[in-house]
Amino acid sequence: MVPYEYYVALSGLLLVLGLIGVIIRKNIIAILLSTELMLNAVNIAFVAFDMKLADVSGQVFVFFILTIAAAEAAIGLGLIMAIYRLRKDVDVNTLTELKL
Amino acid sequence: MELTSLSFWIFSTLAVLSAIGVVFLKNIVYAVLSLISTLIMVSGLFFTMGAELIGALQIIIYAVAIVVFYVLVISTVPEFKGETIDPNYMFVSLPVGFLIFIELAYVSLYGAWKSNVGMFTSEVIKEMGNVKAVASVLFTKYLFPFEVASIILLVAMIGAIIIGKKDHVIEEEASNGSL
Repeated sequence: MVPYEYYVALSGLLLVLGLIGVIIRKNIIAILLSTELMLNAVNIAFVAFDMKLADVSGQVFVFFILTIAAAEAAIGLGLIMAIYRLRKDVDVNTLTELKL
Repeated sequence: MELTSLSFWIFSTLAVLSAIGVVFLKNIVYAVLSLISTLIMVSGLFFTMGAELIGALQIIIYAVAIVVFYVLVISTVPEFKGETIDPNYMFVSLPVGFLIFIELAYVSLYGAWKSNVGMFTSEVIKEMGNVKAVASVLFTKYLFPFEVASIILLVAMIGAIIIGKKDHVIEEEASNGSL
C-alpha cells in the first residue's frame, strides 16, 4: 500500500504547478486551465485523507467540487466569449479598462 | 513491486508531466490535450485509492464534459498571438511556488492530523462497496448540499447562456422595433 503522504505530496505539487500557471500565463483560457489543475490537486488530497481516515465524506466533497468546477468552467468560458467579442483579444495584460 | 505502488508511480509521474505541459505549452490546444491526460491520470489515482465512483465521475464530468467546453471556446477564439509566459513573473513565481510546496509538505507531515476516524472501516467498505457507501452518506447527511448543488448548476447554466449571448442580435431587434 502506498502511504498517504505520497498522495498529499503529489497533491501539493499539482497545486503549486497550477498556481505557477495562474501567475505566469498571459492567455485567459490557459489561466482557467491552471485553475482546473488546482481543483484536481484538492480532490486528490480529499480522497487521500479519506483513505487514511477510513471515511467517505471526502468523496462526497469531491462530488461537490466536480459540480462547482462545471459551473465555474461554464461561467468563466462565457465571460471569455464576452470579453473576446468586446475586445478581440484574450491577453490579460491589456485588460485594463478599469484602470484610471 | 506491488501493483498498487507501481500504478501509483506510473500515474503520478504521468500526471505531473502532463501538468507541466498544461502550464508551459505554447499552443492552447496542446495545453487542453495535456489537461485531458492529467485528468485521466488523476482518475487512475482515484481508482488506486479505492474511490471507484469518484474516479468514474472524474472521467465522465471532467475529462469529457468540461474539456468539451474548453475546446468549443478555443474554436471560437482565434489563435493567441502574444508570448506564452511572462518572464518577469517567471522569476517570481518559481521560488514562491517552491516555498508554498515546502509549507504544504511541512503542514501535511507534521501538522495535527489527529482527527476522528470515520464510521466506515475498510471491512464495511469492502462489504457494501464504495459506491453504496458514498451514496449512503450523500443522500442522508449531505442531502441539502446536494440539492443546493443542483440549483447552482441551474443558475450557472442560465448565467452562461445570458453572458455568452450575442448582444448585437438584441440591438438589431431593438432598432427594428424603433423603426
